[in-house]
Amino acid sequence: MEPDPVQLEWRQRSLNQTRLAFGQALQCLAGRDDRTVVISADTQDLLGIRSFRAAFPDRFIELGIAEQNAIGVASGLATTGMRPYVCAYAPFITARSMEQVRNDVAYARQRVVIGAAASGITLGVAGGTHHALEDIALMRCLPNMTVVVPADVEEAYFATLATQDIDGPVYMRLGGRVEEPSVSHVDGDFQVGKAVRLRDGNDVAIIACGALVAMAVQASDALRKSGIDARVINMHTIKPLDEDAILEAAADTGRIVTAEEHRLTGGLGGAVAELLSTRLPTRMHMIGMPDEFGIVGPTPEVRARYGLSTEAIVHACESVLGRGDGYDPGAR
Amino acid sequence: MNSDKGNARLLDVLEDRARQVRRDVWRALRAGGSGHAGGSCSAADLLAALYFHRLNVRPDDPDWPDRDRFVLSKGHANAALVSVLVRAGFVPESLLDSFYAFESPFGMHPDIKMAGVEMCTGALGHGLPIGVGMALGSRLRQQSFHTFVLLGDGELHEGSNWEAAMAASHYRLGRLTAIVDCNRIAQSGPVSELMSIEPLAAKWQAFGWSVVEIDGHDMNEIVTALDSVPCEEDRPTAILAHTVKGKGVSFAEDTHVWHSNAVDDETYAKALRELEN
Ligand SMILES: [Mg+2]
Repeated sequence: MEPDPVQLEWRQRSLNQTRLAFGQALQCLAGRDDRTVVISADTQDLLGIRSFRAAFPDRFIELGIAEQNAIGVASGLATTGMRPYVCAYAPFITARSMEQVRNDVAYARQRVVIGAAASGITLGVAGGTHHALEDIALMRCLPNMTVVVPADVEEAYFATLATQDIDGPVYMRLGGRVEEPSVSHVDGDFQVGKAVRLRDGNDVAIIACGALVAMAVQASDALRKSGIDARVINMHTIKPLDEDAILEAAADTGRIVTAEEHRLTGGLGGAVAELLSTRLPTRMHMIGMPDEFGIVGPTPEVRARYGLSTEAIVHACESVLGRGDGYDPGAR
Repeated sequence: MNSDKGNARLLDVLEDRARQVRRDVWRALRAGGSGHAGGSCSAADLLAALYFHRLNVRPDDPDWPDRDRFVLSKGHANAALVSVLVRAGFVPESLLDSFYAFESPFGMHPDIKMAGVEMCTGALGHGLPIGVGMALGSRLRQQSFHTFVLLGDGELHEGSNWEAAMAASHYRLGRLTAIVDCNRIAQSGPVSELMSIEPLAAKWQAFGWSVVEIDGHDMNEIVTALDSVPCEEDRPTAILAHTVKGKGVSFAEDTHVWHSNAVDDETYAKALRELEN
């Protein structure tokens, strides 16, 4: 099959940021489906949708800095058969317009896709007001919602294309001005709700999402040198959760480490713990933001400050295996 | 209207319908044991005129794509909405007696799963943004349906309404009409004491809307206003309908006590006596 020229555009432009991959994918979707409509909340550069606006001016709606209205408008558009994609800041579109997302979109079951850029601490320098560390928890507790956390640009691009076939609302968690290493190798084949195993191993399993997937792969490679085979699972869909992949990993390894750029409360680790504690109690270690607001700083440094690093994942794996130097990254 | 005589007949019919809405509201509230009599009855004439005169809808084909859209943003008046849906033939009359019942589709607030209901509303400040989306959808899909959103006056405290008001005039949504049921009272007391919304007409005008002020219980004024929208082709219209909370039943009129209140058999009988006269 001929590669879709629009699909490939992001590669040519070296847009190594998931937020921009989402914006690029929207152009492809608009070409395929004339019901595609994009809503901006003064986020034209944030999600790289100026080119969409130029290509499809009639299907681009700027609504200004008003997230509650953006979600309500998207819901109203969806009732008429349009397929709205809301381009927004993760911290604002989730927390500020939570009630609109809950009632107008999830409860009313409208096909609205939220592209939430600048999630986690990708806006590290902006401080706690702009860190989105609760958004996975907020979105995954809503019935009908699909929650996707791409690990890199390729996955963000193809996951966005896959929203075309999801019959319900979607929360797509995207990064900021941070280039994440390519790790997903999705190669055009993204399946919602189907986790991807990136490294084999039966000593311990690392279940990660978003930016932590690349770190998990690096951690696995490092551990292998000391004789530890760490499985790596890219859990790109938090909801619906791939329960089979988690239960299989727990059964095979007996030790699970979760890793995410989200508060430890209610995120990926929480979802995995909810499953395993009731179905197959397994020794776990959770890596994520502790119960505090993030400090200001460059994203890599702020991530490292809270243990969101390859090193911390290595230590966590050693710790659940009862090896290592006794350093416990979970003991705060 | 063809003639004054035809107009008089229409108004008679609609006034009858509005009386039926009020009787249905009290009937539903008795079945549920309580409910929002005040805001349901203040909106009764507006809903009767919308459903039996203005809205182009098909009860036998509720999802007909070209239908006019109606969103009850003040969702706590659901009993009045369900009454007009019953009387228009969207849903069976027996529904009126299932208000608040276990697993009933007829709860305190509108649910999109019920035929004829366009959106789950009731959390205030949601309907107008949704109406803006519907009006934009009408344009994008090259349809010509009109969208009406009925709001409470206390509801206008919610800031999201004004985000939507700004967007509606920015996008020149002539086929969007907001109707404000200005019954002057919210749950705790008079709107003016809780948080003043005046000068209300000037606010809508400042947001770029055409404004029409009417007596929300004068069927002639209601019909004239609904027939006149859009007042200007490229502007949304706000109809400020001045109403009396609890209209039609003397003991429930103009008091926050009947925003929501218990309704037993005796209260129902008293209310019905007034509505049958
Ligand atoms: Mg009121």
